[in-house]
Amino acid sequence: MDIQLKRGLLEVCVLASIKNADSYGYRMIKDMKPYVEISESTLYPILRRLEEGRLLTVRSAEHNGRLRKYYSITEAGRQRIESFLEDWKELLAIYEFIRKGGGTDE
Amino acid sequence: MNKEAFLLRLREAMAGFPEDAAESSLEYYGEMIDDKMEDGLSEEEAVAALGSVEEITAEILRELPLPRLIRARVKPKRRLRGWELTLLILGFPLWFPLLLAAASVVLAVYIVLWAVVISLFAVDLSLAAAGLAAVIYGALQFVLLKLSQGAFCAGAGLVLIGLAILFFFVCRASAAGAVAAGRNLLLGIKSIFVRKADKNESID
Repeated sequence: MDIQLKRGLLEVCVLASIKNADSYGYRMIKDMKPYVEISESTLYPILRRLEEGRLLTVRSAEHNGRLRKYYSITEAGRQRIESFLEDWKELLAIYEFIRKGGGTDE
Repeated sequence: MNKEAFLLRLREAMAGFPEDAAESSLEYYGEMIDDKMEDGLSEEEAVAALGSVEEITAEILRELPLPRLIRARVKPKRRLRGWELTLLILGFPLWFPLLLAAASVVLAVYIVLWAVVISLFAVDLSLAAAGLAAVIYGALQFVLLKLSQGAFCAGAGLVLIGLAILFFFVCRASAAGAVAAGRNLLLGIKSIFVRKADKNESID
């Protein structure tokens, strides 16, 4: 797949993985695994970028006597998911047209 | 490699990085190892699953904007002393042109890169245009009943158009190559900044 396209997709996947409940890095990777493989070194810059864009926030919480970073989605993050879904609805319609070879008979 | 050794190596590899960026990625990878171990992996396995330190630092460097790297390096860690400031101002005619020259070299490399791509496309376009012209001219000769001349021109034109189509793929590949080379150039410049800072620190 095109690398730029995959990058954009992964950003939304990361947001989707914290849409319903806060999560931490390792669990995000595990949650995404059945759908998309993402390595630790790929996830890290994405998390930083989303944090800088205020699409998610980070807090540290104690877990088993150590600190773990939990990520929660912001309102802007939710909007990002929504607009992604909207865009893809349009794309899917175009996809259907292409697949069927949609010219009409005269 | 165990967790401690891995994090130590990672820290060393990021010696010239902005402090907060290095710190937060160390926390991230430390947490990853802990979580993997909690999930049942051994310490060695958890570390091995993260990939090489070089890959990790390259990925982080790619993400850090160049201006931020420069700022982190150029900003003095203490107030400049009077004589240092004087030297800096007096040295301006010397270091400023050097800086400008370095920036121009980088810019020139970028321009050369894209000039190659643009000229390849120009060659392709002229092949196509010449082919088209020859086909039209050949057709005109047919109308004037100069059959052999017409057939020759039209045939040559078709060959040129065919070449243009094949050559288009070469052009496209060269554009993709230029984009990749540009990215690597940026990464190279960034690592120069990071490495330089490394040496300065060991002198201090």
